[in-house]
Amino acid sequence: MIWRIAKKEFLLNMMTFKFAVGTILCFILMVVFVPILGKAYQERLKVYNENIAYNGRELGKVTVYKNITPTIYRPPSVLAIFSEGLEKQLGNSATIEYDEVPDIANAAANHYLSIFSVFDVSLIFKIVISVLALLVAYDAISGEREKGTLKLMLSGTVARHEVLLGKLIAGLMVLVVPVIIAFFLGLVILHFFPMVDLAGSDWIRIGLMFLASLVFISTMYHLGLLFSCLARRSAVSLVLGLFLWILFAVVIPNGSAYLAAQFLPIQSEDKINEQITSLRREAALEIAKERQRLGSRYISGHYGTSDIVGKGGFGHGYVRSGSEAYIHNQTLDYSYEVPIKIKYADIYSEVKSGHLKSLFEQTRLSDNISRISPISLYEKVMSALAGTDITNFQQFINGVKPYRKDIIEYIRSRTDNFSLPSFWTPCTKEEIKTRPNKDDAPPLELSDLPRFTYKSDLVGSLRHAIPDLALLILGNVLFFAMAFAAFLKYDVR
Amino acid sequence: MIGQIIHKEILENLLSFRFILSLVLIILLFAVNGFVFVGRYRQQASNYWEKTNENLEGLSRQTDKLYQLAFYKQNAWRRPKPLALCSEGFARTLPNHFTFNMFSSELPEIKGQGNFTLSHFNSIDWVFIVSMILSFLALVFTYDSICGEREDGTLRQMLANTIPRYEVLFGKYLGVVITIGIPLFIGLLISLIIIVASNVVVLSGLDWLKILAIVVLSFLYLSMFILLGMFVSSRTTHTANSMVILLLMWVVVVVLIPSFGRIISEVSGKTVNPVDLERKLGEISAEMWSKADELFGERAGNMSTDLSHPMNNPPARSRLRTAEINAKNHARDDHHNKMLAQAFSGRNLTCISPVVIYQRASEAIAGTGMNHILNIQRQINQYRASLREYIRSKDAEDPESLHLIFPDSGCARAWRTISHDPVDFDSVPKFQERDLALGQSLKLAIWDIGLLALFNLVFFAASFVSFLRYDPR
Repeated sequence: MIWRIAKKEFLLNMMTFKFAVGTILCFILMVVFVPILGKAYQERLKVYNENIAYNGRELGKVTVYKNITPTIYRPPSVLAIFSEGLEKQLGNSATIEYDEVPDIANAAANHYLSIFSVFDVSLIFKIVISVLALLVAYDAISGEREKGTLKLMLSGTVARHEVLLGKLIAGLMVLVVPVIIAFFLGLVILHFFPMVDLAGSDWIRIGLMFLASLVFISTMYHLGLLFSCLARRSAVSLVLGLFLWILFAVVIPNGSAYLAAQFLPIQSEDKINEQITSLRREAALEIAKERQRLGSRYISGHYGTSDIVGKGGFGHGYVRSGSEAYIHNQTLDYSYEVPIKIKYADIYSEVKSGHLKSLFEQTRLSDNISRISPISLYEKVMSALAGTDITNFQQFINGVKPYRKDIIEYIRSRTDNFSLPSFWTPCTKEEIKTRPNKDDAPPLELSDLPRFTYKSDLVGSLRHAIPDLALLILGNVLFFAMAFAAFLKYDVR
Repeated sequence: MIGQIIHKEILENLLSFRFILSLVLIILLFAVNGFVFVGRYRQQASNYWEKTNENLEGLSRQTDKLYQLAFYKQNAWRRPKPLALCSEGFARTLPNHFTFNMFSSELPEIKGQGNFTLSHFNSIDWVFIVSMILSFLALVFTYDSICGEREDGTLRQMLANTIPRYEVLFGKYLGVVITIGIPLFIGLLISLIIIVASNVVVLSGLDWLKILAIVVLSFLYLSMFILLGMFVSSRTTHTANSMVILLLMWVVVVVLIPSFGRIISEVSGKTVNPVDLERKLGEISAEMWSKADELFGERAGNMSTDLSHPMNNPPARSRLRTAEINAKNHARDDHHNKMLAQAFSGRNLTCISPVVIYQRASEAIAGTGMNHILNIQRQINQYRASLREYIRSKDAEDPESLHLIFPDSGCARAWRTISHDPVDFDSVPKFQERDLALGQSLKLAIWDIGLLALFNLVFFAASFVSFLRYDPR
């Protein structure tokens, strides 16, 4: 009996104007938006490849070890087409320097573009298909009551729960159609983009996104069904549904961030900057003390240098040659300055990460408040699965930090703990006498320099997406249970 | 007769479930808007004045030597506007800090603005409430204005009388306008009472005029949606279909098209990168210095702190440094203009959506948004010109100065290319951000106001024509 009801409902809903308009709109939006999003991704990928190539070229030009300051780039996520998350908002590069530890930062791009809201495929699901779900569900029960067919149906031997389950199955089957069309279209269009290359883990993510979308749509359908079972007139059920929708789609996502920014103000950046300034002064004092302690090791003599501007790799210059006193004293300077700066870099990083922690706490509060809205939950799940949420950026930075240590160790081992002149000048003992001043120093032999490999962590993403997905499923169960309870006592006359 | 129709519409709506829900939602949102704004404005204003005074103090410490005024890096901050209550204009994500000295100014940057790990969100200002929530409610109130009455059977009864159709339409329109106007005005009042009672925000007479202008703009915007709802209602025979079409139109116009702006701006032009700018500036310097002698005169690239040393050539060095800073300023301006052009192109192309028009117009009237940044930059450039004129005139009074005003602080210090005489701080021009006059703000918004009025006319004409041919049976 359930299946008969389901089949009838399914056919009825498929023939309606609202379903046709909704599905056609989905189709048009996917066909218009995915190519544009794909093209934007291609541009980002091109820039990424150019940057990687630039890095490679510059490494080939480096003449002194202190100029080894490559920038590590996070590859643009192709699944940002489905859910942009923080992809364009956060910085996707980190520069390796011995006196600074990289951390999560604001994207250094065109700030003026932040006046536009995020645009991705999940917007179509969050907005268009969720409205469609409400429109399909709002008159499932109350509409039938108004038409008079509900009492006819229930005057037979069919149980109430069978009617409800039948309607549920039919509604879900109807809504699966636009979701499948959207995903299928999106993937087909992406397939035709030459630079888009989906790996195995990407396919798993896409599969999970598809499931998450189904769960989300089902949640919205259950909500609509619940209102239909609570109201006697479809108009009331529709109005309730729409109000709740506008609350979930517009008010709560914006309001939660807005309120979190009010209730949990973050530590002022000025305090952090003051702390860092006083720490820098401490570092300078320590360096000055060391210089005093080693005062006797300095030699006196004429200071002369020949500098090459901007051609030593990564836009840095270098000292091509210098007088004996200059080379000796400068080498001595670096030998104790660099380890001190490395030590203080870690201290600055700790201070900054304290500040970052307060930012993350505010974000966490905002996320918690917004969890009332299934639309926000869905957005978080999609963002986690697409690898564009904050944890993905944290994983990237957490991969760069040990790599920076590796590079520092490499330089330390090659320059005998930063005490060889090769750390900062290619000038040899003979060249101190000849004083060459052309940019003809040979580049360093760096074939054994550790290379950075970016690993996308699928398990981490899943771990982050599961709690919100579980909440969505719980919402499904809860709304269905409430609809069931309401329908059991529904007056069908 | 119109009066009776309006009366009936208002009563019918006032007693409905949707009106009560709307009233509660709108009042809550405006109250939140008021309270949050007061708290934030208080803090922003105190930060702003503290930092501006710090800058002035720093400037006053430079007055013992004239040349120091030219090289002192001044900081200007974006002043918090009271009318950000109405239209915040994405203040949180736009640059708020400007650094400059007499010779050049840096790109505006964001400093200490807040949490960049929080996804971008719309502030709950008047523009948000009106453009997103009230427009939605306008559709909820009008989707069944014609077809609903047809389904109920009351439309044919009404039209069976001597009442002309346009009176029915106009009466319904005014009825809904007043119905939506009630929560809107109550909300606005609540918000303004909270602001005025807080004594934190001071609204001048000009501000009140601007608020009035924004209220009129909001009315035009909402009226457009009401007419849209009535148009669709008079084209369909079933309320369900009308609702579906209106909802989907709302989604496309209010949510999708404005978001489209980002992707349009990225695809239409190459995204400018600060790294590219850094590289370009480096290249400019490297090129100028490597060809210094041929382009600007012998020994332009050399400098010894002893002015009489033969390796010095002050006029040549002046030419080199001036050319270098001009080229760099040009590159920076170019870069900045490209950034702005990218954002403006996205916005302009999404102007099909009335939301974008409304947002742009309110930002122009309230003096917030990207125009605020442009305005500050323009004022900074004007100030730099006036400071330059001041320094030039004061420098002319010093017979010991070389009168070579160029951006090299080392030379200015060692060679006295700019006077070292002390100056009176009171006579030094100081940077102070000024608001645009009302006339100028309105001039920026005039096209948008016209466009919204045009939309209104179009939808009114469309609903008029549709209703004239509507079958009430």
